[in-house]
Order: sequence, then C-alpha cells, then structure tokens
Amino acid sequence: MMPKHCSLGVLIHLFLTGVAESQPVHKPQKPRNVQFQSQNFHNILHWQPGSACPDNSSVYFVQYKIYGRYGWKNKEDCWGIQELSCDLTNETSDLQELYYGRVSTAWSGKLSDWSISPRFMPLWETKIDPPMVNITRINGSLLVILQAPNFPLRDQSGISVENYYQLKYRIFIINSLLEKEQKVYEGAQRVIEITTLTPRSSFCVVAETYQPMLDRQSHRSRKRCVGIL
Amino acid sequence: MAVLQKSMRSWLMGNLVAGGLLLMILMMHQGTALPISSHCSINESEFSSYITNRTFILAAQASLADNNTDVRLIVDHLFHGVNMTERCYLMKQVLNFTLEEVLLPQSDRSLPYMNEVVGFLKNLRNKLSLCHIEDDDQHIQENVQHLKDTVKMLGENGEIKVIGELNLLLLFLRTACV
Repeated sequence: MMPKHCSLGVLIHLFLTGVAESQPVHKPQKPRNVQFQSQNFHNILHWQPGSACPDNSSVYFVQYKIYGRYGWKNKEDCWGIQELSCDLTNETSDLQELYYGRVSTAWSGKLSDWSISPRFMPLWETKIDPPMVNITRINGSLLVILQAPNFPLRDQSGISVENYYQLKYRIFIINSLLEKEQKVYEGAQRVIEITTLTPRSSFCVVAETYQPMLDRQSHRSRKRCVGIL
Repeated sequence: MAVLQKSMRSWLMGNLVAGGLLLMILMMHQGTALPISSHCSINESEFSSYITNRTFILAAQASLADNNTDVRLIVDHLFHGVNMTERCYLMKQVLNFTLEEVLLPQSDRSLPYMNEVVGFLKNLRNKLSLCHIEDDDQHIQENVQHLKDTVKMLGENGEIKVIGELNLLLLFLRTACV
C-alpha cells in the first residue's frame, strides 16, 4: 500500500508544482526536523527523512559548527550513514559555546540541500538526571553518598565533573512522622555527613541536581530511608 | 569602608550639581543610601528561574530567525583587557545599548514574553543606574563599540541577533554582576 500512496503523492506533487520546474525532479528532499537532543551533556543530533516515502538506500551526511565561527566541519563518523542520528557529544563539549548541526542526504548520486538545526546551547538544553543516593547510618548521624549522573567527562586533573558542568546537589531530609521536608545540603560534594538529626526517628533522603546558573533542578532521586537510634 | 565614605563625601562637596542629582536619586530610593561598592552589582535573586526561562525561550525563538551563524555578539572577547571588577560596568553598557537601541524600538515585535523580558531588563538597568568606575573607561567603551558597530553593520538581522542572544546577555550579566 505504502509505495502506491507515495507514488501517487509524488505524481500529485509533480502535477501541482509543474514538471517543468528548473530543479531536477529527482533531487532528493532535504532531511526534516534536524535537532539536538541532550541528556547529561550527551548531545545527539536527530533528524527525519525528507521524503514521505524514504528509500532504504538513503544515506546522510552530518556537519557541525560553533556559533560565531566560520566554516562547517564534517563529522567523519556520520558521513554516509543510514541512521537517523549522530552522536556529537565530543564536538559540542565546550559549555561556553553554542552550536549548529546540519544534515544532507544523497540519493542516486545527487546531494540534497543542507537542513540546519536550531542554535544549540548544551548548558540550557541538556536534561540532567538526579544523583544516585546511598545512605549509611553512623551512630547518630547519617552519611549520604551521591553518585554523579552519567556525564561524558570523568573527574580530570584538578577539576571535578560538578565544577566543570557548574552543578550542585541538593539533599532533602523527610521526617516520616512529621512528613516535613527540609533542605539539609546544597553544594558540589558527593559525600556529606548530616548530624542534626532527632534521635529515635526515621528519615528519608532524596537528592536533586541543581544548575545555579539557570536556577534549574533535575527530577528527584529515589527516596532512601533509615531509622536513627 | 570609611575611606570610601570619606571619598564619597568629598566627591559630593566637590560636585554640587552632580551631588544634587545623586541626592535626588537617593531620595527616589526612599533614602536608603547604598554603599558605593554595591552600585555595580545585582542581587542573585533578581535572576529568578521564572524570568530566566522566559528569557531563554524568547532568545531561542528569535535565534530561529537569525540565519547568520558566523557572527556571535556576546562573546568572551568583550572582556578582553577588562578587569574582573569592571566587567559588570561593561555589561551595564551592553545592557543599556540592548534596551535603548534594539529592544525598546522593537518591543512591538510579536515574540513570546517580549514585554516581560524587556520589563526585567529595565529593572536591571535601574539597579545598575549608579554603577560607575573611577578609572578611565576608554578600553571598555572600545569593546562595547565593537559590538555596537557589528549590530549596525548587520542591519535588521543585527537586531534579531541581539534578541536571539538575550540568553547570553543574561548569563554574562549574572556572571559579571552577581
């Protein structure tokens, strides 16, 4: 059914636009909806085929550039690929910069026009996960151990991922009896001791990742609960 | 602090006209005299998540209409040769230019949250109205002039570029002034 619809669509399109257009009719349509999707600064360029009836033999070519600089660069790993996405994490890792990606497709030896993404600001557009939370009870206090979300960069010489990505964590304590929530920590450390706890009560701990620059926070982590002797 | 107050007093004595103006501004602030060192700063709470979001959405919308990917206006190079302590003053110049030359003439443009963001930036302008530096500001004016010239050179596209970079303006203001 599908190919028939497609052929009919092409025929109608040709009829409406006029076959005698200067553009050759077999020039491939450029890809659509080219845009970055970003999770924890893993920045992936996505797109859709330009034609409503994509050909299995369509291949795509990806380029990228820094906003404010001249010239596009080829992304070698995504040059002549059949996938509808391309990982540009390494090429877009500078948080001070904004980026563009663009995609072209080829069909029977002819290149389409380039289809360009919106301006991409990793710092703003990435969705950050909460940290993983583990807690340990030590006498009357609580040791909270956070595990950073899965970022492309690990801690490097002298700089932590939290400092690099300009992130902080917030820890909240929920008193199960009073159902009262209290922020007990905001900072970039991953191991935090919480001492001001009421004895003989039980607590739950949740955490979130916070971007002070944008005043924006992640979802909450899973709750961890413990009783205090 | 005492030195600052002393220099402020002598400055007032020496400049009756300017002093009178300052007093009027202070009276407009209902008599709450600000220490001179705080003039070039903005409270972090001004950058609420609400207005930050609005500004970024507006900038993203405007940037879709900016097809010049080769030129960026708000760049680190603005701070070239400018001390940390003078950066907020520099951003004040950029903010005033943005408001007066671009946003106020363009405020009828139907972009989302334009009025809210313009109101927010006007408020920041007021907060920085007394911000000044003691030293010669020629190097700062040169950096700002480069930005102004680029906007003028780009014509109408320069104005849409300015709006498309309001997110950067906000981030730079925050970095320089908080």
